[in-house]
Amino acid sequence: MTTNAQALTKLYYEDVQVGDAIPKLVKSPVSHLQLVRYAGASGDFNPLHTDPKIGEMIGIGGIIAHGMLIMGFVGQLLSDYVGPTALRKFHVRFKGMTRIDEEITCTGTITEKYEADGEGRIAGKVQAADQNGDVKVAGTFVAALPRRG
Amino acid sequence: MFDKSKIGQSFPPFTIEVERGKIRELALAIGDDNPIYQSREAAQAAGYPDVPLYPTSPTTFTFWGNTKMVMQLVSLGINVMRILHGEEEYEYLAPIYPGDTLTGVMTLVDGKSRQGQGGSSMDILTTEIRYTNQHGQPVLNARQVIIVRE
Repeated sequence: MTTNAQALTKLYYEDVQVGDAIPKLVKSPVSHLQLVRYAGASGDFNPLHTDPKIGEMIGIGGIIAHGMLIMGFVGQLLSDYVGPTALRKFHVRFKGMTRIDEEITCTGTITEKYEADGEGRIAGKVQAADQNGDVKVAGTFVAALPRRG
Repeated sequence: MFDKSKIGQSFPPFTIEVERGKIRELALAIGDDNPIYQSREAAQAAGYPDVPLYPTSPTTFTFWGNTKMVMQLVSLGINVMRILHGEEEYEYLAPIYPGDTLTGVMTLVDGKSRQGQGGSSMDILTTEIRYTNQHGQPVLNARQVIIVRE
């Protein structure tokens, strides 16, 4: 299991500066069991993600992870950083397939700080890449942060 | 190739009840053992009224709530066996907690076809699901880009 120590410290608008790096999240290698479990949890039962025979049949060689699992990893990065209810927007593009045993690391950077709808907001870019640096998911987010005092 | 006349078409609404256990299940499947997603007690101890949504919980609303999704995609004229997921986007408009009942309406908001080499074609479709809660308040927009290779 992987949880960021950052999860327990509350982040304030004043603490964040453009260019800051989000504390990275290194996930345990993706396992077949995790994909079965994720299929059940998400309701996405496309056999491409759980049945190796299907992957062979359509010529992708074995099973591939749900793209949404990898977006979930990035979701954990953001949940750990800004907290669970701060997100206002979360967008990703799926850039590459993830296979069993790949180790995914999620990272991000703050690109903007501004006020909108009476909230102090930050925007940033995020990505998930494997142990060779191949990017699986790249995206952006907006979050609203509380102010000090 | 998909049916371009369907751009702008909305499908009948579906409803989904937000469940605490479903949030926990998703967090654990992702490998996130943050206690706020595990129990109401832990969430309240951290200052939340109940277990908060996981950032990607909206995907469970779609798969478990919109049970006719596959048929709806077929009705747009696409081969559902050839779908690749291109993009996913959420706009979180208002708090959502366990016990809320959401109503989602899916619309095909955009679509285009591209010709590839050797006569192959590719459709790129954008769907949007707008969710309102039991008070009629807009709470979430979920956009998805799917790529269909023919």
